Amino acid sequence: MSDLALGYLSFPVLLLLIFLRAPIGLAMLLCGIGGLWLATDGTAVFLARLKSEVYSTFSSYTLSIIPMFLLMGQFATYSGMSRALFKAGEAWLGHRKGGMAMASVGACAGFGAICGSSLATAATMSKVALPELRKYGYSGGFSTATLAAGGTLGILIPPSVILVIYAILTEQNIATLFAAAFIPGILAALGYMLTIAFYVRIYPDQAGTHPRIPYPARFRALGAVWPVLIVFGLVVGGIYQGWFTPTEGAAVGAVGTGVIALFSGALNWPVFRQSITETATGTGMIFFIVLGAGFYNGFLALTQVPQELSAWVTGQGFSPWMVMVLILVFYLILGCLMDSLSMILLTVPIFWPVISGLDFGMTTEELAIWFGIMVLIVVEVGLITPPVGMNLFIINSMDQDTPMTATYKAVLFFVGSDVVRVFILLMFPAITLIFV
Amino acid sequence: MLHKAIETLAQFMALLGGVVLSLLVLMVTISISGRELSDLAHSGYLGGIGQRLIDLGVGPILGDFELVEAGVAFAIFAFLPLTQLNGAHAKVDVFSKAMGPRVNSALGTFWSIVMAAIIILITWRLFVGMQDKIRYGETTYLIQFPIWWAYAASLVAAIATCIVSIYCAAMRLTGQRII
Repeated sequence: MSDLALGYLSFPVLLLLIFLRAPIGLAMLLCGIGGLWLATDGTAVFLARLKSEVYSTFSSYTLSIIPMFLLMGQFATYSGMSRALFKAGEAWLGHRKGGMAMASVGACAGFGAICGSSLATAATMSKVALPELRKYGYSGGFSTATLAAGGTLGILIPPSVILVIYAILTEQNIATLFAAAFIPGILAALGYMLTIAFYVRIYPDQAGTHPRIPYPARFRALGAVWPVLIVFGLVVGGIYQGWFTPTEGAAVGAVGTGVIALFSGALNWPVFRQSITETATGTGMIFFIVLGAGFYNGFLALTQVPQELSAWVTGQGFSPWMVMVLILVFYLILGCLMDSLSMILLTVPIFWPVISGLDFGMTTEELAIWFGIMVLIVVEVGLITPPVGMNLFIINSMDQDTPMTATYKAVLFFVGSDVVRVFILLMFPAITLIFV
Repeated sequence: MLHKAIETLAQFMALLGGVVLSLLVLMVTISISGRELSDLAHSGYLGGIGQRLIDLGVGPILGDFELVEAGVAFAIFAFLPLTQLNGAHAKVDVFSKAMGPRVNSALGTFWSIVMAAIIILITWRLFVGMQDKIRYGETTYLIQFPIWWAYAASLVAAIATCIVSIYCAAMRLTGQRII
């Protein structure tokens, strides 16, 4: 069998293993090792690679940003900032119709600025916001859907673990990608707030109101969130301004949220241990996938599949926009089945050569950034798409008396808002590329 | 009894990795502060204080990124036993409902055995890699510490991962669910 055929054959094999419930990292590692074995007619190549590549993957300076960001997010969870952010949002918006839900979205956006993961943002904010929403007469389905959608802001608003991985895969500047994600992230938050305003007009009985709060108290509540601004400004601003490398920024962020947690009195030994446990399993999971993807992509590169596929797509004379839309739809569907990180690691090395071979009238760098942000948004939509979106399950499990179907129904409005936003960003790449 | 020991091992390794990671982020932050402060002092804005800072030797920590690389590698290896024991690896569960409990359980057992085999393979190759590093006497560029030290630390954590994965596979084979 030719190497190329072997490469193409590896796709269905990999998918089969994944659907047979192999851990995704293991499935990729097996296909990578198996592929290298067959393609090079022997065990020498993959044994030699295993000798150094595992260590070099785990010791990569660029990738070391990931455990640091995870640690930062864990400390942020215990920093009390989720409550401060929600209280600030509530003080300013709570008295409006649907205002508490808008406050939750705003608080999620704020928390996303110090946390790089979507599930962590959704889970942390729900602990604070869900009981409050229910107390003020918001329906269960509406509340859970709002928080599931708000959680996706965690990954969209920098810092973002997924963007780090994308940057490494496409050899782009992490700082530029963070900057590019900022406006789409804000647009997402505003879009969700509009959705809420629209939703409460249709179903006025599903939302209550909070008593109006006087202005001095509003400013006090807003003042309580200054640590978030400082940490975000230091980390993202510092990386963007070039004061330090992204890894150094992540370290500063971890220390920053750690200090906030320490001063809020929440960071004692059991909490520290809990943070470490969560960071450990999160990191272990991610790096095992990164390791598997490294071997699988190494094998694919050897078989020339990405180049061939790219050449084929370019040769067919498809419209670049049609290819882009098809890829995004593919991500949307796959995003309902698979976690975002595995999906990015698995598909970007194949799709990026295809996209970069097409002419969208931009430089390669601009294209890489725009494509990355679009993919990021679309895979996050997968997290809240019924019936399998992961955020939906996490949030729904936190509210015992809300049936899953109620969450499904309400979240469709947010998915709708996402689709509109994807369309706008697709039509006007300049919005994403403003800071590039 | 055995389960308790394995659990303690996994948690101890994770905690060790976490402490190393925490120390690394502290060190990086101190190193950046030193670097920025020394830049500031050299720029002359601080006047006499700046000169005193320079005399004190304020500056970045030499070879901080080499320590980050070695430390993070160890931390990640040390995180794997707990990831393994908690079954925290990402999977696709969409079709598991359709397959029924018996098929699912059989698949779970199968993959835990394959996982253990792969972890043992990785650990063996890490050991061989370490021997290479010893043989060639490779050191890091700035602080010149032998790279095999970092390999050796990682190897200890990898062996712990082997123990935990073999335990997980054995438990599944004998029909005892641990997760």
